[in-house]
Amino acid sequence: MSKSACHHATEQIYFYLDGEMTYVRRLRIRWHLRRCGHCCGAFDFEERVKQMVRTKSQTEPSAELIQRLHTLIREEAGDDPER
Amino acid sequence: MADQADFEADAMQFAPQLYSAALRMTRNPADAEDVVQETFLKAYRAYGSFQAGTNLKAWLYRILTNTYINRYRKAQRRPSEVELGELQDLYLFKRLGEHSGASESAESEVLEAFVDTDVIQALESLPDNFRVPVLLADVEGFAYKEIAEMLDIPIGTVMSRLHRGRKALQKKLWHLAEERGITGRTT
Repeated sequence: MSKSACHHATEQIYFYLDGEMTYVRRLRIRWHLRRCGHCCGAFDFEERVKQMVRTKSQTEPSAELIQRLHTLIREEAGDDPER
Repeated sequence: MADQADFEADAMQFAPQLYSAALRMTRNPADAEDVVQETFLKAYRAYGSFQAGTNLKAWLYRILTNTYINRYRKAQRRPSEVELGELQDLYLFKRLGEHSGASESAESEVLEAFVDTDVIQALESLPDNFRVPVLLADVEGFAYKEIAEMLDIPIGTVMSRLHRGRKALQKKLWHLAEERGITGRTT
């Protein structure tokens, strides 16, 4: 695989993974990935890192905070929470 | 126009996500709770101006991000625009390749070995001006254009901060992997 084709694909990797690319450009990248095992591995890896960052960075709020938000909105709305 | 009476039913479903994002931004549970409460109050008051049928999640995140930035700027007097040094593309992928010969199973093993606290620590190690775009893109899944609007910066700046922030994140993850001895086979 030509070095410049790989270089071009790698430069575009985040635009591709973020879905920030025109259809024609996507097709060109996909065409390259079908023929280049190294770039295909790199793209797959980056996609998995992105997924991992999303799934392994969530922290649940306390039930108290959720309750406080409900109360906050109801008080602001002028409802009597005791009613 | 959205009806203010619907706010609770429409917006509360996003509270857990908004809290998690606020916690990654502020890096402190007490501050995150304050930011989320202020966000919900502002959002409730402004709900009449929200265009029903448009993206409510993006609208709420815009308020959250502004609330965080305003507080942060007040506290710091000026925003810290930290620069990151030159960083290699595909940082983690290349390090793993050098280390374990880039076998697919070794790569998977390393990614699986990262626990939530590793990823959170790596995210929170990023300077503020890189951390927020990475958070909004990778964790919350917003488009570049939406992030540019939320942060009120040009889309080109979003891209460069996001790309550089991701490389710095990977560098931190690699250091954590080395510390914990999960960088794969050494033979």
